[in-house]
Amino acid sequence: MTDHEILQELMDKADVRRYDCYQCGKCSGGCPMADGMDLKPRGIMRCAQIGSLDRILKSNTIWLCSGCYACADRCPHDVNIPAFIEEARYEAARRGITRRDSEVLNKVFVANLKMFGKSHEMILAGLYNALALKPTQDMAALPHMAGKRMIGPAPHRIEGRDELAKLIERAENWDKLEEYK
Amino acid sequence: MIRYSYFPGCATESTAKSTRLANDFVFDRIGIDLVEIKDWNCCGATSAHVLSEALGLSLPARSLARAEADHPDLDIVSGCASCYARLKLANFKVRSDKGTRYMAEKVVGRPYEAKREVYNFLDILSSEEALRGIEAAILRKFARLNVACYYGCLNIRPAEVTGAKDRENPLMMDEIAKLTGAVPVEWGFKTECCGAAHQNDAAREARPLVWRILDNARENGADMVLTACPMCNMNLEMRQGEYVKKRGGKTIPVLSITELLAIAMGAGGERIAIDTHHVPVMRIVAKALRGAESEAAI
Repeated sequence: MTDHEILQELMDKADVRRYDCYQCGKCSGGCPMADGMDLKPRGIMRCAQIGSLDRILKSNTIWLCSGCYACADRCPHDVNIPAFIEEARYEAARRGITRRDSEVLNKVFVANLKMFGKSHEMILAGLYNALALKPTQDMAALPHMAGKRMIGPAPHRIEGRDELAKLIERAENWDKLEEYK
Repeated sequence: MIRYSYFPGCATESTAKSTRLANDFVFDRIGIDLVEIKDWNCCGATSAHVLSEALGLSLPARSLARAEADHPDLDIVSGCASCYARLKLANFKVRSDKGTRYMAEKVVGRPYEAKREVYNFLDILSSEEALRGIEAAILRKFARLNVACYYGCLNIRPAEVTGAKDRENPLMMDEIAKLTGAVPVEWGFKTECCGAAHQNDAAREARPLVWRILDNARENGADMVLTACPMCNMNLEMRQGEYVKKRGGKTIPVLSITELLAIAMGAGGERIAIDTHHVPVMRIVAKALRGAESEAAI
């Protein structure tokens, strides 16, 4: 498959027509994360139009997009960029392209779910900090939270933890099946 | 009595303890019965859908399937913008696409037809009936309290899923806040994103999102920021030490809309664990209440 064909497939999945974008830049202008992106939302659409798949998949944009939908909401031509970015991110992951910090957080997040069935922000932040080698990030808030018992040694757990672990496994298998197709 | 299946969200069990207490207090006072979904699980925000579509949809689908089985006659409500977005999207996709419904039911292992609606707190608190209920339950009002109503992005967008009419300048929360005597300020960051989990995994890039929201609230004369999501609330509040160092000036309290309502309905600070806030709230609240009393005396 050529890059254009792969791009077309991702666009179809996202229900986005890439040539609808006429490069007005309203998306980049309103994107709250644009400052940190190496390819702004308008650039993503431009690369999609000219078939520059590689630049999209290797951009930090697909990991920094927070999915706030400001761009999609303001687009005069209803181009749903976050939907396309999501598909591009899945494609990048299938090729083993990741962003380290995102990967660490997402892995810790799912591990948390398997253990508790719920997400515990401070356990999440603690494990993330340890694995991402950022020991001090946000830890200034820890004494306050511990003192007010907002976090504690016995986190809430759901009863259906086994059920949820199986659900997660089935979801992962579903993705592999999709890939196989 | 109005009843909903209730999805509290993980934050209400830890970092948003005061919001949870305020939610329970307020809905009890205005006669809306929230029936907690039995053994609900994390909605997956904000990592699951980043990793996989199947996981991103089936985590919320499990809780929704449970709600549908236990209370087929009740719509669902969540008090967190991220949870709301994930639940609403799962409902929307399962309803509009047969393939997605097949996938969700297979992965979850429970029947799920997405027959009921998913709402957020702003939706249900801004209904006419609820507004009347709030008005009747308010026992004391604030004077000279300027509030910046922060809706967050996902309570409002994407429009085709949420059905929100005004995405740049929504007014539901402003209307609710007005009932307490508070004065909503006009400002530009009502529906800007707080960065969500990027405050963890992309802190350097995401911090300015919070700084800009707080800057704009202060510049427009707000004494406090009101939220409708525990995650927004934490993001806007927890790092204000860092904020003041960067931008100067004073910290600004951040409170959920239900906390403001609870106080106006007579809840003391202790009742809703208001001291769990990182930025102290009570001094400014007490001053606004005293101001109202002295105005009433005149």
